[in-house]
Amino acid sequence: MSAFNAIDADREVDREEYTPGIEPQATWCPGCGDFSVLKALKGAMSELGKDPEEILLVTGIGCSGKLNSYFDSYGFHTLHGRALPVARAAKLANPELEVVAAGGDGDGYGIGGNHFTHTARENHDITYIVFNNEIFGLTKGQTSPTSPKGHKSKTQPHGSAKDPVRPLSMSLTAGSSYVARTAAVNPNQAQEILVEAIQHDGFSHIDFLTQCPTWNKDAKQYVPYIDIQQNEDYEFDISNRQEAAEVIYDTELALHDGEVLTGRYYQQEGRLSYTQEKQEIGEMPEEPLAERYHDDDYEWERCYDMLDAHR
Amino acid sequence: MPEDLNWAVGGEAGDGIDSTGKIFAQALSRAGRHVFTSKDFASRIRGGYTAYKVRTSVDRVESVVDRLDILIALTQRTVDENLDELHDDSIIIYDGERSMMSDFETPGETIGLDVPLKRLAEDAGGAIMRNIVALGAACAVSGFNIEYLDESLEKRFGGKGEAIVDNNKAAARAGAEYVEEEYDFSAPYDLETTDNDYVLLNGGEAIGMGALAAGCRFYAGYPITPATDVMEYLKGRIEDYGGIVVQAEDELSAVNMTLGGARAGARAMTATSGPGIDLMTETFGLVATSETPLVICNVMRSGPSTGMPTKQEQGDLNQMLYGGHGEIPRFVLAPTNIAECFHKAVEAFNLAEKYQLPVYLTSDLSLAVTEQTFEPEEFDMEAVEIDRGKVVDEETIGEWQNEKGQFKPHAITDDGISPRSFPGTDGGAHMSTGLEHDELGRRTEDTDMRIEQVDKRDRKVDTAREREDWGYREFGDAEADTLILSWGSNEGAMREAIGMLAEDDIDVRLISVPYIFPRPDLTDEVEAAEETIVIECNSTGQFADLIEHDTLSRVQRINKYSGVRFKADELAEEVKAALGEPTEVEA
Ligand SMILES: Cc1ncc(C[n+]2csc(CCOP(=O)(O)OP(=O)(O)O)c2C)c(N)n1
Ligand code: SF4
Ligand SMILES: [Mg+2]
Repeated sequence: MSAFNAIDADREVDREEYTPGIEPQATWCPGCGDFSVLKALKGAMSELGKDPEEILLVTGIGCSGKLNSYFDSYGFHTLHGRALPVARAAKLANPELEVVAAGGDGDGYGIGGNHFTHTARENHDITYIVFNNEIFGLTKGQTSPTSPKGHKSKTQPHGSAKDPVRPLSMSLTAGSSYVARTAAVNPNQAQEILVEAIQHDGFSHIDFLTQCPTWNKDAKQYVPYIDIQQNEDYEFDISNRQEAAEVIYDTELALHDGEVLTGRYYQQEGRLSYTQEKQEIGEMPEEPLAERYHDDDYEWERCYDMLDAHR
Repeated sequence: MPEDLNWAVGGEAGDGIDSTGKIFAQALSRAGRHVFTSKDFASRIRGGYTAYKVRTSVDRVESVVDRLDILIALTQRTVDENLDELHDDSIIIYDGERSMMSDFETPGETIGLDVPLKRLAEDAGGAIMRNIVALGAACAVSGFNIEYLDESLEKRFGGKGEAIVDNNKAAARAGAEYVEEEYDFSAPYDLETTDNDYVLLNGGEAIGMGALAAGCRFYAGYPITPATDVMEYLKGRIEDYGGIVVQAEDELSAVNMTLGGARAGARAMTATSGPGIDLMTETFGLVATSETPLVICNVMRSGPSTGMPTKQEQGDLNQMLYGGHGEIPRFVLAPTNIAECFHKAVEAFNLAEKYQLPVYLTSDLSLAVTEQTFEPEEFDMEAVEIDRGKVVDEETIGEWQNEKGQFKPHAITDDGISPRSFPGTDGGAHMSTGLEHDELGRRTEDTDMRIEQVDKRDRKVDTAREREDWGYREFGDAEADTLILSWGSNEGAMREAIGMLAEDDIDVRLISVPYIFPRPDLTDEVEAAEETIVIECNSTGQFADLIEHDTLSRVQRINKYSGVRFKADELAEEVKAALGEPTEVEA
């Protein structure tokens, strides 16, 4: 039994338990894709029977960063781009927590890109949802790292001169052990993928296509979409990195030609998480360190022998 | 003969200077002698000059002086760099068979002892022990019982097997015997030993030890000179107490990871230096508004920008006090010596958790790289108290919920302090954010709530002012007309300068301030003095500015920003000059 009484409580959890008892009403614009992420996350957590109080939902800054304002659990709204370091450290300190990080495409692939690369590489056992609307939503429609080349915005009136980043390729190369893309318009698939991602042992990255009807009018609403697992044209082995890389490459190209491919791209089973790797080499306690200090009876070590080394 | 002996070993980076110096310092400490060490680096060029200096006495030593009595010079440059510190009776040990030393001539009236270090080392089992031969020679010259060196060698090489230890002991003896036989020369020194039990450690180690004793169990950092020692000290030790050290991809990540660890319930710390502080400042406001306890250790080095990475400076005071946009309540502690690094580290964690805000624990390059002896009692583990502040559990959580059962992490209270609940605690779920928020942690722009939350955060500082002791350390003559104010690591050199000034009938009162914010109000002390002089290692006088601001009085300033710490004799002269007294140079 954990010293934290909400952990592993093992009970049925209704999805409405994740709705905050009071205000605020979600302030996303009507038709915004972000609503679907919230809905899918509530569905997935309830399907998995996660107590709201064993969940830590860490977000960045953006319209997307408001996710934990509308989801009742332990929540931490960090700085622009910094959700991942906070989330992965919380998981290290208390591996029993269900830690989910979320943020926008600007947040995760731009200003926080370095953290994305290294969190994936370290394979922390957390889930990372990127709300990819190919735009800076909160700041009113500037070009984002995923905006397609030629995309016009107030900061790039002649169209973006840059090729967009390839988030799924980046993720695979960096070392995520679960890579998927889903879309706001596909709620069933979204919930299924979230459930899988949360259950997956290791770093799960979901590029979640979320339309922004307010600032990205010329972008597609991500319909129609193709689920690559349901389509004969895309038969491949998701545990094979090379095959995954090819389909990901096609998927990223296709998006800007108006073809929306979604589904699971890569899943590596059996790879140790950062916590497990550290435990293997004796650098990480078996007992969650946060738990140790939560226990009132715990006697603080006095470290008496530390001085001997200096004699 | 002076009471203290000043000894040094110098050569090129890669010559093993550091470990050689440490072995000798350890031997002196085990012999019950006090030790104070310093390091010279010229880090720009690979193979450039580096030296490890040891000052030793049976009395406590607190600083370095401009005098070298025994110098082991592995290179010509070692001698050139120290010409000012050598005197007529200085002894230089060198290896005339080393190609770069074959033309070496001892400067002035100094005494040169040519000892074939490499050859003797080879005879004892390997050229690698060259420096140990030199240490043996130094024992002979200083009349220091070589058995203490044996103990130090056992400690250093014990892990490598008995044969290695024996070879090293033999190498040391070969050096000692060579000096005794080849030079008809009776040791001009006779290093007395005592039965006193001392510990020898540097500021980085003391901070690491303090952090561990205080229950720090989560450390995330990104390597940077001179803060890396703290991380290296914790690594390999923290695991024994169930903690972890992680190396992050940059300082942005390091400080945010520390924040994440703290939110999840661990006592957490990061350490860095100037360039890292710049990056971490981004997160400072979030730490403060989310009311998360966090300790950031800043081991200052010479700036701005990359500056002089291995040089001394106290240039970050304003950055620590004012860095970050908006108004951020924070504490800034500046331990004044190595033992204080231990105590202030413990205090930093308690303050951070009691008042739920970021705490700077600042030392500097001088403290970080200086090894000094202390009585073990000065690091009293038994006396360490841990106060985690207002953390709620199943029983107390109810007191902090609203009528709907929602937890209030930013509850408005009289003392400004709100409750904390760690994720995983039933009934404690809440949001926390860098946005302005209400008592529940939900964003708000309501003007009344904004004012209440700002006031509440500021009130924590007022509460801390009342409840905690923000005193100072005092030395010298409390009735003196001249008041010297110092912060951080200048205390040792100034303490020694007091004695030197007294010889010239100049009495001073020294107030050494370990708290930069909140800090003691020194108005009465400054008004009682005829002359107030603030000493600090920066060019503008950042602490002096604070004192003038606090006391509404003008002060004199002694500033040093060459990259080298204050020395006692130099400070004594500067104080005389500031007081209009004749100085050595003029006299
Ligand atoms: C350091 C910093 N720079 C800039 C901003 C302003 N800002 C807030 S959100 C944002 C971009 C948001 O885009 P994205 O991450 O894609 O999130 P979205 O709103 O589209 O969900 C920017 C530039 C900030 N908050 N912090
Ligand atoms: S601006 Fe775009 S992303 Fe933001 S809430 Fe509105 S529709 Fe959604
Ligand atoms: Mg976006």
